Amino acid sequence: MTVRIADDGIILLQGVCAIEDAEALLRHLSAEPGTQVDWSACEHAHTAIIQVLMAVKPKIVGWPTDPFVGKYLTGLFDRSG
Amino acid sequence: MNEFLEQFLIECRELVEQATADLLALEQQPDDNARLDSAFRAFHTLKGAAGIIEFPAMARLLHTAEDVLSSVRAGDQPVTIDLISLCLHCIDQVVQWLDVMEDTGEPPADADAAADRMAARFATDVSEPFLAPASEAGPPAWIAELQARHPKVMALTAIRYTPNAACFFRGEDPLTLMALTPELLALDVSPAQPWPQAEDLDPFACNIVIDGLLGAPAEAVAAHLLTVSDQVQIHALSRSTGGGRLPELSVAVLKAQIAMVLGSAGEGSAGEGLAGRLGSAGRVVRQILAQAGLNTHPVMSALEDSLASANSAALVAAIAAILDPASPTDSGEQDDGEGAGGEGAAPGAHGIAAQALRVDVERIDAIIKLTGELTVVKNALGHAAGIARQGDLDHSLAQTLKDQHALLERLTVELQRSVVAIRVLPLRHVFQRFSRLVREMTVSLGKSARLVIEGESTEADKAVVESLFEPLLHVIRNALDHGVEGRAARLSGGKPETAVIRLQGYREGERVIVEVSDDGGGIDPVVIRRVAAERGLMSPDALAKVADDDLLQLIFAPGFSTATTVTHLSGRGVGMDAVRASIERLGGRVSIRSRKGEGTSIRFVLPFTVMMTRVMIVEAAGQAFGVPFEAVVETLQIPRDQISAVGAAEAFVLRGRTVPLVRLDRTLGLAPSPVRSAEVKAVVTAVGGQLSALEVDGFGERLDVMLKPMDGLLAGMHGVAGTTLLGDGRVLIVLDLPELLQ
Repeated sequence: MTVRIADDGIILLQGVCAIEDAEALLRHLSAEPGTQVDWSACEHAHTAIIQVLMAVKPKIVGWPTDPFVGKYLTGLFDRSG
Repeated sequence: MNEFLEQFLIECRELVEQATADLLALEQQPDDNARLDSAFRAFHTLKGAAGIIEFPAMARLLHTAEDVLSSVRAGDQPVTIDLISLCLHCIDQVVQWLDVMEDTGEPPADADAAADRMAARFATDVSEPFLAPASEAGPPAWIAELQARHPKVMALTAIRYTPNAACFFRGEDPLTLMALTPELLALDVSPAQPWPQAEDLDPFACNIVIDGLLGAPAEAVAAHLLTVSDQVQIHALSRSTGGGRLPELSVAVLKAQIAMVLGSAGEGSAGEGLAGRLGSAGRVVRQILAQAGLNTHPVMSALEDSLASANSAALVAAIAAILDPASPTDSGEQDDGEGAGGEGAAPGAHGIAAQALRVDVERIDAIIKLTGELTVVKNALGHAAGIARQGDLDHSLAQTLKDQHALLERLTVELQRSVVAIRVLPLRHVFQRFSRLVREMTVSLGKSARLVIEGESTEADKAVVESLFEPLLHVIRNALDHGVEGRAARLSGGKPETAVIRLQGYREGERVIVEVSDDGGGIDPVVIRRVAAERGLMSPDALAKVADDDLLQLIFAPGFSTATTVTHLSGRGVGMDAVRASIERLGGRVSIRSRKGEGTSIRFVLPFTVMMTRVMIVEAAGQAFGVPFEAVVETLQIPRDQISAVGAAEAFVLRGRTVPLVRLDRTLGLAPSPVRSAEVKAVVTAVGGQLSALEVDGFGERLDVMLKPMDGLLAGMHGVAGTTLLGDGRVLIVLDLPELLQ
């Protein structure tokens, strides 16, 4: 599973998150507003995934190591976590 | 001209022919979806080819046409005569460009303008021009805003990429594409429309605008973003420093303008032709200067002078001055220009060139030498005929004939070999295309893999080499998509993070072997067994007995696919059965080996040439037939009482396997021979991994034959691959086993 909910309720994005994962991610986020996202284990995220994170702005509690995300995209998300 | 460009031209001309035929057929029958698909594919492949040789204008034009065809496919617009003519005009334009490239070895310099004109005719809502031309109104406001947000960034190019809302469905991943753009310096991503509430958000509709600043020149950025050219605006930024230094590509284009203008003057073409060339050169130069942020005025006034005096000197001097500001008139440049212009003036033998083969002169020399030796044999035979006529049979006529026959045999073999060698190409032609493709595929799959190519100078028949691209593409896609694991899985499996896809070619006797192997996850026989059972590909009994290695061959069965998710790379319903079909069409075989956890290897065994076929002669109903030798497993004589009837058919048991027996005479609709011996003579063949046996009246010799495809009345004959002449003058019919045993 590339999108799953951890025991503590945080949504985990792991491995290569393809376009079809965007729907699951959005579903989890809409079901439980205020849910946090940890995508530190995400190796690659499709634009659709990033778009959902931009639109819903969940609190991010774990950042991916991908330098592209780190350098150019962190400003798009909720960084308070 | 380099080999790569030659290959491009040959391919493009084939695709142009295909597209033209499809469009014309479509005009006659607008509801012919197969033709529509085929035309679309031809445009799509042409676009891809243009991308590979970096000819953006051609790719852009074809992209526009492809969009139109795509909307026809989707049912959004009907096939009209206007639409067909536009597409055909587009093809005509491409042919013109190909002609120029064949003469000069380079894309024509004025292609951008032509592509824009042509694209503008396609639809009222044609996308914005790709490389925005220098606008009199100054740069758009978003550029200033972008630069203001990133004041410290020194960029050469600014882009605004507005992905189409439906772009995800076309397999596009805009941010990944941006991540790979050369020399990305700054990036702003913003919503195209304000974000809706989460419950109203469509996760599959792209709603972002990407603004970027890049350190690479506009041309390089444009080349990188070619596939999304309809969604991107690219602006070259003026440089405050570096006074007038132009990118390499611009310099080349400027030189080409000089060559073009001088070339026309050299031919002595006066008046209208010269004016047209001057005007077109002037436009191109102006655009380059404007993009580089340089003053266009001197060139424009030089253009006016040249036009007024019908003499190219003023414009040439002005362009030369841009190229080398230190010396306003560079005569060396002009000499170069004349040379290039003269070369380009040779008018078209294009139609012939498209059919041409590139042949090493040494190979032709070998054939000429053989022809000479054949003439000697011919004379010797004439001499022998003279002796025979005189009735002087005591003379050593028989000896002379025997000697000359031996000589003739040797020469024929050599001649055949030399002729076949003419049609030979190195595998490099098809292998080299995969380096780039693998790179793109790994990125879009988010996997890490590299392609290792070995034995690319191995040679094979032109027809074989050129038909290998599609099956190889499919196999390599599969390897990346389903074979290679994600990074995490590889590391936890103790493998290096980067997977290796090995593409190998080598000779094995008269055969050429092409292998694609990966060090990925391999195929789990358990899964194959389950899927085969689910889809009813084999009976449960047979499945239980079959060994793992044989079981794997099932992935070549029609309708077999173990992929659980469909990605945009593979899984489009074309399975490994299509790969098998195209390899078998070439007279080859395909097989697979795989170890769970260790990797998979797919092996094509191909004939060195498709023209020479080794056949075994069999007799049935008093006639001789050839069975392709590569399909023959063994010949048998079986007591008739061991043949059992299975329904209407017959079968026998061979080493624990039931092999169906087909009577060749009956299958071909010939009268069966009256004598039925106590023993059945059978040729056991393997076609597509299935054993079956042909009952024949007798076995004959093996023979290498030059197969002549069936034409005329015989073309539609079932189960026949072609014919050849036997030594005694009889026609040998060579069977097409896959068709016959279907």
